[in-house]
Amino acid sequence: MMEVLQALGVGFVHVFAPANLAALFVGLVLGLLVAVLPGLTLVMGVVLALPFTYSMHVTPAIILLTAMYVAGTYAGAWTSILFHVPGEPIDVPMLWDGHAMARKGEAAKALGWTLSAALVGGLAAATVMVALAQPVARIALTFSTPEYFAIIFFGLASVVSLGGASLANALISLCAGLLVATVGVDDTYGAHRFTFGVPILSDGIDYLVVMVGAFGLGEVFVRMEQRFRSIPLQSAGEASTRLPSLREAAAVKGTYARGTLLGILIGLVPGAGATVASFLSYGVEAQYGRRKALMGSGIPEGIVAPQTAATSSVGGAMIPLMTMGIPGSGATAIILGAFLLHGLQPGPQVFETSREIVYAVFASIFVAVIGMCVIGYFAARYLVRVLELPEVIVSAYVVMCCILGAFAARNNITDVWLIVVFGVIGYLCERFRFPITPMVLGVILGPLAETNFMTTMISFGNDWTVFFTRPISGTIMVIALLTIVYPIFRQLRKRAT
Amino acid sequence: MRRALVRVLPYALVGSLAAWLFYAATQIDFHRRPGTLGPDVWPKLVLGLMLAICVYEVVRVLVSPQWRGGAAGVLQEMVERTEQAHPDAAEPAAPKSLPLLLGGIALTAAYVWLIQRLGFVLATAPYVFAFIALGGYRRWLVNAATSVVGTLAMMFFFMKVVYVSLPIGAEPFAQVTIALMRLMGIR
Repeated sequence: MMEVLQALGVGFVHVFAPANLAALFVGLVLGLLVAVLPGLTLVMGVVLALPFTYSMHVTPAIILLTAMYVAGTYAGAWTSILFHVPGEPIDVPMLWDGHAMARKGEAAKALGWTLSAALVGGLAAATVMVALAQPVARIALTFSTPEYFAIIFFGLASVVSLGGASLANALISLCAGLLVATVGVDDTYGAHRFTFGVPILSDGIDYLVVMVGAFGLGEVFVRMEQRFRSIPLQSAGEASTRLPSLREAAAVKGTYARGTLLGILIGLVPGAGATVASFLSYGVEAQYGRRKALMGSGIPEGIVAPQTAATSSVGGAMIPLMTMGIPGSGATAIILGAFLLHGLQPGPQVFETSREIVYAVFASIFVAVIGMCVIGYFAARYLVRVLELPEVIVSAYVVMCCILGAFAARNNITDVWLIVVFGVIGYLCERFRFPITPMVLGVILGPLAETNFMTTMISFGNDWTVFFTRPISGTIMVIALLTIVYPIFRQLRKRAT
Repeated sequence: MRRALVRVLPYALVGSLAAWLFYAATQIDFHRRPGTLGPDVWPKLVLGLMLAICVYEVVRVLVSPQWRGGAAGVLQEMVERTEQAHPDAAEPAAPKSLPLLLGGIALTAAYVWLIQRLGFVLATAPYVFAFIALGGYRRWLVNAATSVVGTLAMMFFFMKVVYVSLPIGAEPFAQVTIALMRLMGIR
């Protein structure tokens, strides 16, 4: 424990180095702005910021993106509460009690509850993250390739079976991602796979191209089809924040605790990010809370539950990312991409080889949570003015950043063509309800899954039963298969009744 | 029946593509080592799964067209249940414009084509202007200023700060970009 605290202390020292602190501040402001703008999702914002980190050192680059991720779970609540416009899907539950409280003339109080919930949820989850990361990494160090394959398989299985609106569509999306990852020259045999004689495809399709195209450009095409609806705003001048007193906060301590715990647990599950956490936490409060009958009428519990869960899901999602290299959400998939771009593979080894970077990132989450609340307290009224920017102008710049991001990665114009292709694919996925996150996770985790699968096959004489006969991998594989089979079984049972 | 066919279409298309790619995977050229799996195994596994899901969905929709939803994610269902309890918060469906979408895609494709010939600056500023105008924004002066200033700012940031060499285009357009670079102190 002392060892962890010492590493965390060193991490804090790193965070307060000028370059890292500047990156953290920029990340926080960008994250807050992205969360406020309805046309820009949190994941899209993190994707767009990625190319700006290419020339940075890995620590400030990851700190910037992580700060954006943390701040992105908070500021969208402001517009939900003040204008009945959720900045992010995460913030839809804020419409129900947050806006209702604002309509009663207590907007400042509603913003205060949001701030306190983000602070409590964020700090508690960061503490849990630091406490669990090292032990989980130690366990992961004992794993061999069958266990690694089982973990990746579980990650991919839970992405499709827990978060997706349609299991079939999520599976197809995942397969598409896994397939895109196979394009290029195979490492072991040097065989060309799906290159069709196109020279640039021999180098493979960069996951960055898929992320930028599908998340960034695809979303712009969706908004364009909807004619870039602009939102009529009331005055933002009254957007001040009034914090709840300690006695008021203590009265809803159970909600803080439930929201935080649920957020961390949901964050741990690959594919179920802050949005699921926020909705579920609200749902749990509405079903089991002390004042469940009053939910929706503008009570603090209806604000605290979704906000604590949303912000605490960040800490939860960072645990599988840092300890096993498995992203728990769209944003962590991009942070994983940033790590890989800087030549660092998150996983148990990283706790040995790049301990300082890991704990600097952990420490930055504590600082980011506090920093975001300080900025939110003093600057919410100014930051919400960004909503007055016409969405079409923001979107034009989003496209420009997408193109620049794709080009800057490999200085190759073919990548730019590919992001247009993936932009259209992203649009079609949205249009026909194929989730994008499984595809992106498939592209990122596909090579890792294939390598571990093939290595296991070579090591164990092509005996595929090894995945099920080794105790740890067998248990994980069975759980993974159950997560896929359970929704199908439930659906069949529902249909039968 | 027509509705069922429309619902089947995406799966039929994806399934056909998967079948064709499966065939392509059988043609992967490599020197097989005895007793080991080749580079075609993993893609074939993925494509086989994809094909099976597509066939299942096509059959499911055609056999029982009135059965709308398939199995959904457990957490997603809980989220939807919470959302359904608050129908007032649901966003009204936005009117859609296919011409605008197709215009946007065509404009973006044209931009990528032009960027190689005109260079980043000369292609981006008109693209941003055209994109904003296409999106229905009619304050021309603001649009023009936003397009030009934004493009130059991005060029400065990427070429001077991040050291990314953006396309300068073919002659004679390259000379314009080079002159601008000199003016902005970019080497």
